[in-house]
Order: sequence, then structure tokens, then C-alpha cells
Amino acid sequence: MKKLTKALAVFSMVGGALFGTQALAEPFKIGICYDLSKAYTFATPQVSQAAMDLAKLINMKGGIGGEPVEVIVRDHGNEPQRGIECYSKLSREGVFVFDTLSTPVSLAILPRAMEDGRILMQSLVGRGDAVDGTVFEWVYPIGPTYWGQAANDVAYIKQLHDGDLSDVKVGFVYFDYPFGQEPIEILKTLSEKEGFKLELYPVPLPGSDQAGVWSKVRRDNPDHVIVWMLGGAHVVASKEMQRNRIPMDKYISVNWLNEVDIANIGDEAAKGIKRGTNVVGGQDVALYQEIMTELYDKGEGSGPIEKTQDVFYNTGLAMYSIMFEAARKAAELEGLPITAKSYKAGLESLEGFDANGLMAPITVTVEDHGGGGKTRIEMWDGETWVPQTDWISEYTDVVWEVVKESSSEYEQ
Amino acid sequence: MFYRLSGVHHADYVSDSRIFKVPADRNLTAFIFLIGLAAPFIIPSLYLNSYLLPWLIWTAAALGLNLVTGWAGQLHLGYAAVMAVGAYSAIHAARFGVPWEFALIIGGLTSSVIGSLFAFAALRVKGLYLALTTLAMQFVMDWVLTHSPAISGGSHASLQSPTLALLGQEITTDTGFYYVAFGWCVLVTIFMLNLKRTGLGRALVAVREKDFAAAILGVNSFYYKILAFATSSFIAGVSGAMLVATFFFLAAPEQFSVAVSIQVLAMVIVGGLGSIIGSYFGVALILIVPGLVNGLVATLSEWIGVQIDVETLAHIPNAVYGALIVTILLIEPLGLGKLYGNIRDYLMVWPFDQFKK
Repeated sequence: MKKLTKALAVFSMVGGALFGTQALAEPFKIGICYDLSKAYTFATPQVSQAAMDLAKLINMKGGIGGEPVEVIVRDHGNEPQRGIECYSKLSREGVFVFDTLSTPVSLAILPRAMEDGRILMQSLVGRGDAVDGTVFEWVYPIGPTYWGQAANDVAYIKQLHDGDLSDVKVGFVYFDYPFGQEPIEILKTLSEKEGFKLELYPVPLPGSDQAGVWSKVRRDNPDHVIVWMLGGAHVVASKEMQRNRIPMDKYISVNWLNEVDIANIGDEAAKGIKRGTNVVGGQDVALYQEIMTELYDKGEGSGPIEKTQDVFYNTGLAMYSIMFEAARKAAELEGLPITAKSYKAGLESLEGFDANGLMAPITVTVEDHGGGGKTRIEMWDGETWVPQTDWISEYTDVVWEVVKESSSEYEQ
Repeated sequence: MFYRLSGVHHADYVSDSRIFKVPADRNLTAFIFLIGLAAPFIIPSLYLNSYLLPWLIWTAAALGLNLVTGWAGQLHLGYAAVMAVGAYSAIHAARFGVPWEFALIIGGLTSSVIGSLFAFAALRVKGLYLALTTLAMQFVMDWVLTHSPAISGGSHASLQSPTLALLGQEITTDTGFYYVAFGWCVLVTIFMLNLKRTGLGRALVAVREKDFAAAILGVNSFYYKILAFATSSFIAGVSGAMLVATFFFLAAPEQFSVAVSIQVLAMVIVGGLGSIIGSYFGVALILIVPGLVNGLVATLSEWIGVQIDVETLAHIPNAVYGALIVTILLIEPLGLGKLYGNIRDYLMVWPFDQFKK
């Protein structure tokens, strides 16, 4: 009875905002509406496997506040319409934390999540200005935005040149659609600020033909090339670079470069390639080891073990560690059952959380839903990734200026 | 028995060109219309909101494409681009402060202008060449959208739609959105039903069958082709705007990409070229069945208790769905509309046709 009264109290507190949520004890659920069959399949299987493994591990240890956790994985085929369907369906089953790992679907769900007061996690996808918590109250793009990531790349280049970029030339090779175009503005601003020369090289989708782009790069001969492409396009790029005799260590990729790409380029040929990342790659991670001993060694993993040996698996672990940690905080702060509101409070109380050395420490606040946007640059040495910097988050003022400018347009 | 023909005589042209020649068709339509009206009260909000509403809007859009592809016989691979023009111009108009009623019409008209502008260039070529030209239009539009922040909005090219308001009434509820979509779909359906029995409709069919034969009959095929493109673009534009205003609440280029164009064309072809009821079926199959099959497979695997890899789980529905389309087209190449037509024809004289055999 007592429990019921308490539950009712919480329910009335949250009020109408949580239409359809049962206040009775239920597992804490995360709705994973992913594209498992179309454009994002280079990362979604690993990430969802990480989510399921992590949920299993947490349940083995007694769940969160004694309640089990559950992740519900559904495919939306990267179609906004089916993403909305997944969101609506799971919402009615009492899910109030969603992740889509797809920009179009994230965009499509965002207005609904904002309206319904449900949490939309959108690490590494969706609109970057959603880090502005004052505007996007229910959206949490924890991790670096593409703007922040590009700024950190520039900061790394600045380190390499002893703080003087005045006679440095930076090339930017990008997919010619919103994903790739996003960092341009920030790079232009920084180029004015720091005085380096910026050259833009758009790559038409799907990136299978880059011959013209890289011969232009060879002519311009930039000192570094920041690259905003995904999957197979990296392999094409590396071939073109070899043909044009452009050294591999000029290549600084966005975080979407994984072990599969390296294997396709060739371990030796990829030597010197760099990427920005917000998670520690490789298997030398405490959480990863724990999952291996607790699950995979006993044959209870959620999928093939090969998929775990991929940086996107670690990315998944990082994303879901954050989500479960926030749930734990929420249960600590406001008790069970966890509601969207208490979960929000849980997220916003995360401070310096790095999942035991798995990722860049994040601190989420009411204003900053990105968690600080720290990344580091790693280099492939032929066998493993070697960190080149600490976790950094530079030029935050410039990044936030762009964020504010963009988010203010949403409010209109 | 079900579609009784006794007492139905067409003694003059007016009677012969009635919309519903068989009373049963009229009654069935009226019945479905009433169900449509009552839907918000009898159908759970999940289905209303995430299945019925997009189904109605896409049906309206598919009917528009059916006009140009099914009636006028012009293959169109850039239909989503035309929808995008309508959606973006309507939202920009609404954001500018134009009332939604006019914004929707502005969206339709802009689409119409741009759609027929492309048609002018495109109509010098025919058949597959025309298809490729319209495809080019799609790519041009994609490029314009991703390269002009002024049109497509700021971050990640997404443009927020203002709250829909019609006749001074702000629409914010699921029921409200549903009725708006329902109203638009009914309007387009009535237009298409009537198109069949007008001179315009007959001229379009003549152009479809053989354009120079039509010219000999005195039908200016170029004029009618343009007219078909303009009309269908208008429907596309308003449908695109409706889609954003009542369903997505935000416009992004991916919602109108080339894949979507192909999808709409698939809706029309699977449904049946030149068939109105077929468009309804086709949209249901292409738009809603993947999600349903997905849910079904997920429930089934849970029910049986087999643990299937999530990736496999995601691909099974795709395979099932693909097989379904192939099977349907094998059974009836003219699409779902014809399949319904076959059933109707069978029932028309049932059970008396059994005596013949």
C-alpha cells in the first residue's frame, strides 16, 4: 500500500506530461530504435550488441535499485516514418528514454519528444545545436558535436605546430551533405581566428569516386587533411592518397573510422592514420574485460565476439554506460520508479563520469547537454591506436557561439 | 449477390458516367467513409497516429503520382522532390506569418510551377528518357536543399514547422491532425474519382495509350501532359506540406530523398496504375507493412523464445516484405487494385456464374 501511495504521488507529480507511463514497478527500459538494415549498419550492430551486453551485466549485478533493466531493440530502416512508429509504439509501452543513432530519424522524433517530455538521447547524430539544454530541454547529444570535434582537431594541429598556425594549410574533405557540411562554419571561423589557410574538398555521395578530390589535394598540398566521411569512403580515400603519394599521417578522420575500415585499408598501409574519438579504442578497457569474463567466456554474449573487437562496440558501451549511470543517479536522487523527470535530473547530475576509463569524462548540466564534448586524437601505428593528445575540448566559446546561433532559430 | 446489378440500367450518357455505377460500390464507399470519420473514437491512438495518418497523406500523394503516371502515362522519378518544394514553400510561408490555409495553397502552387517547369524540358523526351530527366530533377532538388541553408533551415538542415492552424483553430491533438489528413485525402480521392469521367481524364488516357494517336483525335498531347504534371505537382506539394505539418512537424531533406521517390512510385505500381483503390492498398503495403511485419517477427521470436540476433531480426522482415511484393505482382501484375477488382468481378455474379461451369 505504501509503495502504491508513493507511486501515486510520483505519478501525480509528473502529471500529464507522462501520458501512458505506468508508475508501478517495471523494469527501466531504453527504447533502441536503430537502423539495422540500411544506411547505418556499419555501426548499429556493434552499438546495439554493446547495449544488450551492458544490460545483461547490470541485471546480473542486481539491476538498478533492485529493479531489472531492459533494452528493446527495433529496426526502423533509417525511415523517419518508421522511426516515429517505433517511438510511438514504445512510448505506449512505458519507454521514456530513446536512442535512434540515425540523423533523419532523430530529427523526426525530436519534435515529438520535446512535446511529450521524453528523453531523446542522440550521441553522435542529429542536430548539433541540441547540446543547448536551455532550448532542447529533453534532448541529450552526449558526446562531442561535429562542431566540437572539428575544433578539437584544429587544436591538435595547433599543438603539432607549436601554437602557430599562420603558415599552415588545412584541407577539409567531406561528404557533400549535411553530415559533412556541418563543421565548415566552425572551421572557417577558426581559420580566421588562427590564421591558417582552409581548403574545402566536397566529396559527392556515396564517396566511391574520389579521384578528382585527392589529385586536387595533391596539388594544393595541405599540411593536414580533416576528413568527414564514413565506412567504405575511408578505404577509397586511402587508395587515392597512396596513388597521389600523400602521406597517411596527414589524415585526421571524424570518429566514424573503425577496425573494419583499417582492415580494409590494410594494417600496414593505414599506419599513421588518425582519428578523433571520445572513447578509448581497443580491448584494454576495464568494462570490456568485465563483459568478457562475465558474459562471453560463459557463452552468454548477445552476439558474435568479433563484433566486440570494434571501436563502435566501445562507443556503444560508452553511450549506454552513460544512460544506465543516469538511471542509477535518478534512482538515488528521487527513488524508484524512475520517471522521465527524475531521469532528466539523473542525467544532469552526471559529473566527470568516464565509465571507469572507457571514455572522455563527461559532465552534463542543465545548460550543456553535450557533457563537455571532449575528444582526443589517436593514431594507428600498424597494430593499435596510440593516443596523441589528452581528452581536450578547445575553442568552446566559438563552438557555443555557433550552437546558440543555430538553436535560437529553433525557438522561433 | 454482393454487387447486385439487377435493376441497374444505363440508358443515357449521364447515367453511364456516374461515379458509382453499382449501388454496392457506393454503399461500400459510404461505409468506409463513415469508418474514417469515426476512426479517432474506435481506433487506438497509436494506430491512428503512426499508421492511419501517414497512410492517408501518402495515399493522397500517391494518387497525385498516379494521375501523371497511371492516367497520363508519364513515368516520374522525381515525385518526392516536388513534394519537397511544396513542403518547404508552405512552411516558409507559414513561418513568414501567412495563414496556413494560404500557405498550403502557396505550397501547392509553387510545386505546380516548378513541377511543370521541369515538365517543359522533360516532355521533349519520352519513356525511359523522361524517367531519367525527372530523376535528374530529384537530384537537382536534393542538391539545392542540402546546399542552401536559407531554404532548408540551420543545423543539419532541419526546418521546424509552425503549429498548424486552420480556420482560426490551432490543431495540436492527434484527432485534429487525423481529420486534417483525412479531409485532404478525401478531397483528392473525390477529385480523382471525378477525373475518370471528365474530358480531361479521357484526354489523359488517350495520351497515355498513344500520344500521336491522341493528337490525330485532336487532343493536344503536349498541353495535356503539362496539365497532368501541373495538377499532380499541386497535389504533391500540398501533400508534402501536410506531411510535415501533421506528421513530421519538421522538414529535413532525407524525408524527400530519391529513395522516397522510388517508394511512392512503388506504391503506385504495386497498387495498380490508374487505380484509385489500388493507391490505397499500395500505400498500405509499402508504407505500413514493413513496420507491421517487423513487430510481428519481433513478437513471434519472443513468443517462441528463440534468441535471434538483432541484425537477423531486422533483415527477416525485409525479406518477407520483398517476397510479398514479388508474390503479389506474380499473382496479379496489374497490382493490388486489380486484385480487388478480380474479387469484385467474381462476387458480382456469384453464385450464379457457377451454373455456367
